Amino acid sequence: MGDDTAATAHDGDALQYVQYHGAKEETYLPAIRQLISKDLSEPYSIYVYRYFLYQWGDLCYMALDSANELIGVVVCKLEPHRSGPFRGYIAMLAVRESHRGQGIATKLVCMAIDAMADRDADEIVLETEVTNQASLKLYERLGFLRSKRLHRYYLNGNAAFRLILYMKEGTALKRPPGMEAGQAGQMMGEPQKMEEYKGFPQDADVA
Amino acid sequence: MADPSLLHNDATARDADTLTASNGTGSLHAHCCTSFLCIDEALGPAFASADSSRFAQTSLPLRQAPRRGAPPQIHDVTEKFTRACQGKSLDVGQLVKDEYFTLFESIGAIEIMDPKMDSGFLQPGETLEDDFDPLAPLLPQELIGIMDQLLSYEMAWHTGYPLSQTLFTSVYIDRLLWPEPKTIPQAQFYRGDISDDKRPGTLLDVLRAYCLALIKGCDYVIAKIMARDYFEEEDFATHTYNRVLFVQVPIDVFLRELDASVEMVEDRDLEIDGGIRSAIIARLQFRKSFLCALDPECPLEILSNFWPPVLPYIDQVNDTHTLGKTVPGSFSTKIQRRLASTVPPRPIVQVEFNDALQTLKQLCADCEEATRFKDLPTDPLEYQSFLWTFASRQPAPLTYSRSYLSNILFDPYILNAPVSLPLEDIKSFVFHESPVLDPSNWALSPPRNPLIPKPPRLQFALLIDEYVERVGQPYLDLWVALGQNRCRLRRMLTHVISAWDILQQDAVFVDTDLIACAFQLNISEEVMDGPLQTWVYIKKLWMIERVIILGFEQDIYLPDEHSGMYYFLSLMATKRKGALQRCVEHNNDRTVQFLKGSRFEDAQNTSDKLSFIDSELQQATGISAFAKALYGIYTIASYLRLLPSPNRPFSTEKLRYELRMKSFLSLQPPEVPPFEEFQAALQPYGTISDPLPSLYDDLKQADSKVWSEIDASLKAAKDAFAKVKRYGAKESKAGGVEQAWNKETQGMLASCIALGVAIAGLKNAVKDIEPSSGVQVKVEIPPAGADKRYVEGWIVPKIVKE
Repeated sequence: MGDDTAATAHDGDALQYVQYHGAKEETYLPAIRQLISKDLSEPYSIYVYRYFLYQWGDLCYMALDSANELIGVVVCKLEPHRSGPFRGYIAMLAVRESHRGQGIATKLVCMAIDAMADRDADEIVLETEVTNQASLKLYERLGFLRSKRLHRYYLNGNAAFRLILYMKEGTALKRPPGMEAGQAGQMMGEPQKMEEYKGFPQDADVA
Repeated sequence: MADPSLLHNDATARDADTLTASNGTGSLHAHCCTSFLCIDEALGPAFASADSSRFAQTSLPLRQAPRRGAPPQIHDVTEKFTRACQGKSLDVGQLVKDEYFTLFESIGAIEIMDPKMDSGFLQPGETLEDDFDPLAPLLPQELIGIMDQLLSYEMAWHTGYPLSQTLFTSVYIDRLLWPEPKTIPQAQFYRGDISDDKRPGTLLDVLRAYCLALIKGCDYVIAKIMARDYFEEEDFATHTYNRVLFVQVPIDVFLRELDASVEMVEDRDLEIDGGIRSAIIARLQFRKSFLCALDPECPLEILSNFWPPVLPYIDQVNDTHTLGKTVPGSFSTKIQRRLASTVPPRPIVQVEFNDALQTLKQLCADCEEATRFKDLPTDPLEYQSFLWTFASRQPAPLTYSRSYLSNILFDPYILNAPVSLPLEDIKSFVFHESPVLDPSNWALSPPRNPLIPKPPRLQFALLIDEYVERVGQPYLDLWVALGQNRCRLRRMLTHVISAWDILQQDAVFVDTDLIACAFQLNISEEVMDGPLQTWVYIKKLWMIERVIILGFEQDIYLPDEHSGMYYFLSLMATKRKGALQRCVEHNNDRTVQFLKGSRFEDAQNTSDKLSFIDSELQQATGISAFAKALYGIYTIASYLRLLPSPNRPFSTEKLRYELRMKSFLSLQPPEVPPFEEFQAALQPYGTISDPLPSLYDDLKQADSKVWSEIDASLKAAKDAFAKVKRYGAKESKAGGVEQAWNKETQGMLASCIALGVAIAGLKNAVKDIEPSSGVQVKVEIPPAGADKRYVEGWIVPKIVKE
């Protein structure tokens, strides 16, 4: 949540919002890691970041201050989901504590959603802790709905909500190629492939 | 749809030959990064040396097929790696990955020499092992302290944390289990020969017995949970990190050790304070009774004898907890380094002793409750009520308790009942005293000449047998779903519903054949129209209703979605009401037919069965009407802007409707209403932002159509729930859970009263409303799980003056 005093101090400081690029790794990746792993008991290895940034660097947006310091970042991916839709996933979102409450996270998420929409995403999903009111508010204001509750989703034992935003009509009935409509989800006990990691941080602030 | 519960299965299947241990509650660090190579200066030559097992089987780019049981092969890739770096063929940040390298695997990667990831990394001056001496003599107070600490960690494990962060942090437990002892006498806090002066004293021996029984208890718990066809890794970590928890050793060995310890402590030669002496004995007795209760070999008929004796010991342990003195040095995160896991050491889970005892008491109470299952009448509807009620217990039963109930449910004694359980269920709704189920149908033999058609009565039997067989799996799936944690229950039910949808399509064909046979026999009036499809439909609709109600319970719906979701719930319950109404009518017809034929006993039997169907009908009526009333009040609240309604720049009402209906879109029936129909129902006065002027006229008049519909729905709901209450638990086939059933029914009635108050409050607030004026009230939505709702899935808004 916002730290008002600090926030005011930065009011005059215009941020610029920049799309990530692989060539910027040495400049920005250490800062991205630091910002995201700050509150994690167990950090992700560099490969987790590279997994996203190497493949979907253009879906990562950064907020930089005038000194080119990283203030906020959103990391995403976009690929066909096994259930059919072309699914965007907001993996990580973080804003420096001193800059929260200024709408930076909202701006970053909006840029990511726009980018995914341009690339024809059917839906965008993410998970966030059920107690993370700021994050829930942020996404729900944009149009996300809660689709399910996930028991003990995080390392700390907390539950998560899966949030989903449909981008296109007909998404609910999309099926992977070769599967007729109505077939999916009817096979009990079919092993489901783990796709998204549990527990990516949604360290959002209130706009 | 990520499914955390399957993480573990997935991991073992793919990486069976590397020592992996992903644990359900979180980390996926255990995955070896086979098809993966990434260049980073920081990694350097340590890449392969620190934990080479993690890179076993690496031969880019193909994934090694899982080979269970094969010994791990270790390849040193240092040289290859260095060559790749020095040749400058890869830039920093460049990723060489094949299509099999998933996010899942990226999570499994670690960075050598990062203290938070590299489990072998030592801070300057840090030692690899602890210097705690488990053979050092203990004070009696310390013995109590250690026992209680172990109990706390045991309960933390039960609530979902891995052994590595709980019990396996105990130096004593570690010593007993590793190196792996061949026999129980070998399982000591030391290995091999030891000089007499180092030999552990009485109190250490007592601790050893306690620990042995504790470990065996863990083995039993894992066995019970794994015995289920389906369990959730997210709830419970079964990993033992290659430690064998005395799997092969029978229970009496542990009981003898405990008995011997009790004797040693009782021995007056042991000089300890009387209070402490009995505190230690209470802990040993607790361990003994608890282990007996956990014994999976325990026969079904005497299960219930084992839980009550545990409770008094728990109280004694509680009363004497303050006598203990903690020995923090006897627990250490460093042990994790030696466990067969590549997860970096994580902090020891901190649990309050009081919380741990609460968990333990809950576990015992839930298991004892579960044992009552075996006393239920052989009636699948009683079973269903029991399962639903058990899943609804607060606090939610732990994984072990749910497994415990499942193991009773799936005991051959229950499942191989003399009657077909699905058929009993069908009978209760549609086939009372029916010629279709006449036992003599099953006594007929098919004609010797296969060209001659089978007699219609034999066809009844064959059709029913075939259909009941077909029903079996989806029927059990419903029971399995009811054994999951509440969140998963909701998600799994949507899958079960899909399977029942196909079941319903099949039923249509069987029903046609049944009716044709009845026609041939000239008894068509004795068989109801579409009996099997009616039955499936009733069950399916019930599940759909539950999914929505669980959604409310789990706070899935935002306040401005309440009107729409209660509207949909009302639609579904109305359809179930219609189907049940047909069952009631058929039952009445049959009674009349019997009376006409002077078959008074059959008439009486049929009429007696009416109470169950009618109770179900009233239940559906109540749900339908109450949901409709809630839909009404939330719709008004939306128009009055009393509910938070985000502007949602990236979404539309239609898209959100599609998302909400996703699980039900493919069902036939019930068809999900078209969006336009749904929207028209939710916006009877035009758009929320610019309503028709008639809205205000109608709101001002307490007897306008909008208000009178809400009032009528609420009254219908009250009447229906009151009738349900009069039928009582037993007639409603919930006799096994009468208390909980009464509470729920009472809760529904109380919810009706609360809604009446809210309606009055809102009516009063709008009695002078004008389009330009606001209202001087606000709507409060009682939060979930805070005891603010009479029934968790029924969110009755509160109207509060501003």
